[in-house]
Amino acid sequence: MTTNLVRLLECNIRNSKATVAQRTMRVFSSQQEQSSVEDDEEFRVLNLRTIKQQARRRVIKKDAVPPPRTTHMPVDQDWSAVWSGPRSFHPASVPLPLRQGYTERGAAAPSKYANAELMKIPNFLHLTPPAIRQQCEAIKKFCTPWPKGLESEATWKAIFPVEVITTDYCHSLPTIRHPEARRVTITLNLVDLKFDAHAKDKFLRLVGERYNQETGVLTFTADRCPTRKQNYDYALYLLTACYHESFVTEPWEASKSEADMEVYLFERNKAKLSAEAILNWNVNGEKQAPSATYAESVEKLINEGENEYNIAKYKEEVLKMLKIAN
Amino acid sequence: MYLSRQLRQLPRSRLTRHIASGNGTHYTTAARPAAEHIEIPKRIERSPTDLLQALASTVGRDSTAPHYKYHDDPFLIPMSNIAKRTYALSKEAGRKAANWIKEEHRELFMHQEAQPPIEKFAPSMVYTEESEVDASSLQLLISQGEVTDAVLVYNLLEQKGIEVTDALKQSLLELVCFYNNQEPLPEEYIEERWFMQNNRRRERHGKTWKDGELAEKLYAAIEPKTPQSYAALIRGMAKYLQCERAYALLQEANEKRIQLDTNTYNAIIQIVSFIKDTAELRWQMCTSLLNQMAEQQLQPNLGTLNAVLECISTFGNFKLARSSALKVLPEFKQLGVTPSLGSYYYLLIIFCRERAPVSHVIIDILNDIAGKEFKVEHPKDTFFFATAMDVCRNHLHDKALAKRVDDLLHTGNNYDLIGDSFKEGIYYRNYLALLCQTESIEDFMQFYDMLVPNIYIPEPGIMEEILRAIEINGAVEHVPRIWSDMVIFDHTHRESLLLYVLRIMVDNRPNPELPAQQQLPKQCAKVAMDMYNKIEESVKRIKKVSFTGQMLGDILTLLVRDNSSFDQAVEVFNYIDKQQHRIPGTPADSALFEYIEATVLNKSPSQALLALQYAVENNMETSALAKRIHEGFTLSEVHLAKLKSLVGEGFINK
Repeated sequence: MTTNLVRLLECNIRNSKATVAQRTMRVFSSQQEQSSVEDDEEFRVLNLRTIKQQARRRVIKKDAVPPPRTTHMPVDQDWSAVWSGPRSFHPASVPLPLRQGYTERGAAAPSKYANAELMKIPNFLHLTPPAIRQQCEAIKKFCTPWPKGLESEATWKAIFPVEVITTDYCHSLPTIRHPEARRVTITLNLVDLKFDAHAKDKFLRLVGERYNQETGVLTFTADRCPTRKQNYDYALYLLTACYHESFVTEPWEASKSEADMEVYLFERNKAKLSAEAILNWNVNGEKQAPSATYAESVEKLINEGENEYNIAKYKEEVLKMLKIAN
Repeated sequence: MYLSRQLRQLPRSRLTRHIASGNGTHYTTAARPAAEHIEIPKRIERSPTDLLQALASTVGRDSTAPHYKYHDDPFLIPMSNIAKRTYALSKEAGRKAANWIKEEHRELFMHQEAQPPIEKFAPSMVYTEESEVDASSLQLLISQGEVTDAVLVYNLLEQKGIEVTDALKQSLLELVCFYNNQEPLPEEYIEERWFMQNNRRRERHGKTWKDGELAEKLYAAIEPKTPQSYAALIRGMAKYLQCERAYALLQEANEKRIQLDTNTYNAIIQIVSFIKDTAELRWQMCTSLLNQMAEQQLQPNLGTLNAVLECISTFGNFKLARSSALKVLPEFKQLGVTPSLGSYYYLLIIFCRERAPVSHVIIDILNDIAGKEFKVEHPKDTFFFATAMDVCRNHLHDKALAKRVDDLLHTGNNYDLIGDSFKEGIYYRNYLALLCQTESIEDFMQFYDMLVPNIYIPEPGIMEEILRAIEINGAVEHVPRIWSDMVIFDHTHRESLLLYVLRIMVDNRPNPELPAQQQLPKQCAKVAMDMYNKIEESVKRIKKVSFTGQMLGDILTLLVRDNSSFDQAVEVFNYIDKQQHRIPGTPADSALFEYIEATVLNKSPSQALLALQYAVENNMETSALAKRIHEGFTLSEVHLAKLKSLVGEGFINK
């Protein structure tokens, strides 16, 4: 009973932070208590053992760990030997005092040890300028000089109009093969090919979506064959075949109707008839044809779409044709 | 993913056709003829890995990093020889466990995801008593080198009465003779091979050849006896040191006029030292065998040279050995046999013997082979570097030669020829010992930093050499560093080393003018305290070190030299005092004197008196101490009384 009372008193005294009294009180308490336990926790744990039995817990002896090797890295060491390839960040090997991460105001950013932020991001410690220089020097012996006469982009685009795009894949899997590596893409500017009007129209119809109107680039992608060489040959074959086919006129092409026309031609359309009808209304005898410039402006308006210039021109032409002075 | 864009030119010639029905001509796509002729250089041929090898050659050696087989983490880098061995072998044990699981639960590992399929990943074929086998499976097993499985299959075939051709029996005979009917350690367990040190012992032991077992039965089963079967059996017996019978078989083959081949004779020449005892007889036998080879028109090869040199190296008669070696070498050079590192190894052990006059043959050898790259050509090639370094250190004490050997080791891929961990250890042990004796201490510490602890961890003996070098040079500032290394490498159970360290630190007082030595008193005190704690802790261990008075005196001296560790000094002294009965010997007088000086400085007369009491109890020189105490303090009555009681009245009046 008295011990309990004493303990209660001790609690109260501790709460009121009178440490001196606390010590004297403890002298009178019959139960020995570990001071460290009391100071840390607010809720005392009931411990039925005496102090001697409690202290038996073995402290695990840890071996001395040598300091991280950044401490004995010489300043003039060969860094490319330390960090020779892409590697996730390893604080004990990088002799830089890096810090990264968000903390509350006023606190320093977390240090590099056990810093997930530094480990997540890609680092380019393997691409220091000296390392790049060394590697370039080592690879130079496999390089041939750039051909003379191909200095500017214009020349090589002129002499080699076709671009061949292939992709090689590098991965760590049990197999070295990648299904996408067989794909070959050939690009070409349409202006590099020479057509006449019919051939161009037919070519563009044959090629369809492979021609990009805005950039003027023709693209052939081949991946239907199992090997890259075969796909390359096939893509070239496609290009050649389409080109030559476009110069051949098949008999059934004569049945091209107005709905198939890719451009609007004044000659073939209702507009001519309407214009003639208007011009020759109630005229007997010589039929007047609409003027050539009128035809041109109508064609332009419909082919190029409505914009200010075209509409103005059309208006001008119409007025001129109908001789309405303005 | 790396995109590669390649510009290629369309072939010009194919496209100039004219279509008959077409509306006019059209043009080739490469329409504009080039103004000048563009010459594109030919692509430089390279193999698939050439670029990678070129890039790899730019990567040097990082001396602060552990070997790549260990995990690169401060907690996981092995820092003692035992740790290195344990970590590497445990990693390999993991591989073995994985292999075991794969073999044990083979039905789970039947998938083959790799293209082309990797055979090693598939579980291996198990041959039991009931397997359906035939001659082709035996042939497959022999070609794969599976000894136990091949033997099992052969026995099965015999049981079932299936015909086994003589050629197949011959190949099986060769396999069994080569391995002595034992399964060798699989090649993939590189760590075990690296750390295996019983190679040396195996050679010097008696014969291990299995008499009367499968090899000889196979031999008997091949009728008629062909030269190949003789050769296989002779070579097998010679390899496993069944010398008498091997030689007998050779003579039998000669009587029957059977043409053997060079390598068989090489095998016999290698075991000549086991057949004959004295140098003259061995040499005689060697020459007779070589003559037999010449008669049979057999061309000697590198194996012959090395076998002859090996035989010569076992001669006790030193003069005969030297002269024969000098005869042998030019003759073989004439025959067009280039010596390998193994031959040079034998030359070194022939010429550079302990009780023989000093020979500088190694200089000639190094002049011959400097800068060359070697590949393994003979099993003894790996012995060269360790022996060369041994010669440089023990025989010649020459640092420049040692550096040349080291350069040779590091050219190209020569490091592969260092052999196993044992030989590497010997090599670096000799190298470091030589360097610490011949280099200045600063340069030596540079080498030390480069090699230790990742490439080589010194043994306690080498540590002692290093400490001796430090003592001779008086470079006490390195001692704390060496001590911390000793702690990490687990050398602290060697009492002699501990005493030596203390002795060096005590004898060389730190010079406060030198900047390197300004921190020294503090560091020395720390070292001393560390040692004290370690020895106390080691009481629980098996290999414990116990305190001696001298040791404690030294520790005490070091602690008092550093002004901030007086409390620790007091603690140590109290320990000495209380444990008097357990500690043999007493601290040196100088130690006690310094302690009393320190008590004067720190104004604790009670401690001083305790020290005096201890001195009196142990019959030490007390007059100087008492005088110092009397001069140093103004003693109170109690203290004076005590002083009087200890040493008598005489001192008060002086």
